[in-house]
Amino acid sequence: MNRALEKLISLHDLDVMISDLANKDISKQEKKLGLSPDTAAKQLQKMRDELASTIDRKHRNLYDQLAGHYGNAVVPVVNQLCSGCFTQLPTAFFASPDRNDQVETCPSCGRFIYWCD
Amino acid sequence: MKRQCLCKWSMSSNNREDAITELLKEFSFQKTTESLLLTALETRELAEPTVVHKSIAMPHCRSILVDDFMIIIGKSEKGIPWPEEKVTVIILFITPVKPSGPSEHMELIKHLAKALRSGGAEKILSAGSSSEAASILKFSYEENQTDE
Repeated sequence: MNRALEKLISLHDLDVMISDLANKDISKQEKKLGLSPDTAAKQLQKMRDELASTIDRKHRNLYDQLAGHYGNAVVPVVNQLCSGCFTQLPTAFFASPDRNDQVETCPSCGRFIYWCD
Repeated sequence: MKRQCLCKWSMSSNNREDAITELLKEFSFQKTTESLLLTALETRELAEPTVVHKSIAMPHCRSILVDDFMIIIGKSEKGIPWPEEKVTVIILFITPVKPSGPSEHMELIKHLAKALRSGGAEKILSAGSSSEAASILKFSYEENQTDE
């Protein structure tokens, strides 16, 4: 898989974790388990910023725009559909032997897309 | 909630990263997916070790790389440093990112918190088999060919 795409997926997963820990219900349950969600969220935010700083500016800006607009900037392709907007992707997208070898965006919604195994 | 889980009853790992890798391998993910999930789980652990009870760790995350709940219970007789204190039971789970939001993820954490309270944690630490451990957490146990 393309390294930049890997970083975008990891950034998305980190944003999900941070957002989960900011969720009052999840935070309450994590506290019941004896965890410290507030401390974890602060640490994750630092790691998120570090990771973001290693991502190409063009991709990072687009990621931020997409995340701000849709809430999710990276989505998997499922059954040849972008799972963000459910648009069928052109057949040209499926020609490459390693479809995750470059950063691609959905021609319809613009989200970053990757192919599931 | 009756979710399926896998079990790895005799873990061989000696440290946290290897333990998470050992458990992830049970799901037979493709190599890149496994590596990205390991990164996500390790990142969460670096932010705060997920030791939820004496000798029990609960590495977890929500990820776009899975489309269903992935739950596995691991057991190590000798214990695994996590990283300060040793744990003998590991409850690892990854939940999918869905358009509906994190409600199912929250429900699973709530379910586990409830199951571990009122004696559940002690019961799972002394469980003698995979199926017994799964039953204590009220999961249905899916036998894995590599389970020992």
